[in-house]
Amino acid sequence: MASADSETRPQEAIPQAVKIIIAGGFGAGKTTLVASVSEITPLSTEEVMTEASYGVDDTGGVEQKTTTTVALDFGRITINDDVVLYLFGTPGQDRFWFMWDELAEGALGAVVLADTRRLDTCFHAVDFFERRGVPFVVAVNRFEGSTVYREEEVREALDVSAEVPVVLADARERESCKEVLVELVTHVIRGRNPVMSG
Amino acid sequence: MRTDGVHGRGAAASALPEEVFRRSEPDARSHDEEFGQERFLRPFAVTAGDPDAHAVLGPESSGLDMLSLVVAARVPGRHEWLRPERGAILGHALRARTVVELAAEVRLPVGQVRGIVAAMVADGSLQRCGPSRSLGRQDILHAVLVGLRSL
Ligand SMILES: Nc1nc2c(ncn2[C@@H]2O[C@H](COP(=O)(O)OP(=O)(O)OP(=O)(O)O)[C@@H](O)[C@H]2O)c(=O)[nH]1
Ligand SMILES: [Mg+2]
Repeated sequence: MASADSETRPQEAIPQAVKIIIAGGFGAGKTTLVASVSEITPLSTEEVMTEASYGVDDTGGVEQKTTTTVALDFGRITINDDVVLYLFGTPGQDRFWFMWDELAEGALGAVVLADTRRLDTCFHAVDFFERRGVPFVVAVNRFEGSTVYREEEVREALDVSAEVPVVLADARERESCKEVLVELVTHVIRGRNPVMSG
Repeated sequence: MRTDGVHGRGAAASALPEEVFRRSEPDARSHDEEFGQERFLRPFAVTAGDPDAHAVLGPESSGLDMLSLVVAARVPGRHEWLRPERGAILGHALRARTVVELAAEVRLPVGQVRGIVAAMVADGSLQRCGPSRSLGRQDILHAVLVGLRSL
């Protein structure tokens, strides 16, 4: 018997949703990169957090709570009928670790955007993915007027292992972003198939 | 001092405040004390006795992550105006949608949408759905590589 339900069932194939994380310091170009390759205008959503602080006033040790919102932006690339790739920019503020935890969970890999004006701002992202065992590439985003680094200099400054690709990029250029993502996925595949990396 | 041998990164950052390194802990939630006066928590709401209240749920409590797929199991009904968020979610979920897309579309925080979606799955308004074809990780990676190259 036909039910109302069957009319709302999707006729088309439901693709598998996979994700890549775009991380880096504040203002490193994460949102720009997502926008450059996304097939949709990057969507933005928020996570609301409770900020708890202790003993900051004479209520002495009583927990104060206020809420803070963190913006999370993401883009989408339809790969084929079976796979849709989501790109998530990490929240600019690096203290929101639980967001990172969830974002990293099940991610294919990550791009760490290194901002040449302040290379140190991506250290925590490098640490995070290294410790989590999430494969990543470092994309060096050059800003006008900042020091021009060579790949080896960045590699040395960030102290990433030799197999981690370090590529120069411009987050505003679609082609450049595409290359970064291809580099990442190639790196992930290579990592899982050492025999093929010869 | 860092003791994990990441000397290059540590040395280059020696001028940075200590804080930067404390924040490098992989699981800050278990290191809240180190943050000093403040810490950030995933919020929650107590909804006892109010079926329309929306719990703000995390991935653990709801069983839904940002990319979990749901689809409408019914069309928005005439009582939906009482709970406009639910109506909006149903409207956007006529085709399978991820939780995070629904959040962006209805302009509500992910945690809240997760709570509403979990409630709607529980009451049968939404259905969770898996991909039509489940591919292995290598197949996915190869598809993604080919797809990206041909962008
Ligand atoms: N010169 C140059 N400018 C860039 C590049 N990428 C981004 N920008 C600019 O840098 C600014 C910050 O870029 P966003 O993409 O917003 O950086 P973000 O990492 O998302 O920043 P937060 O989310 O605030 O941490 C914008 O004005 C961009 O236009 C780049 O590759 N080169
Ligand atoms: Mg941004």
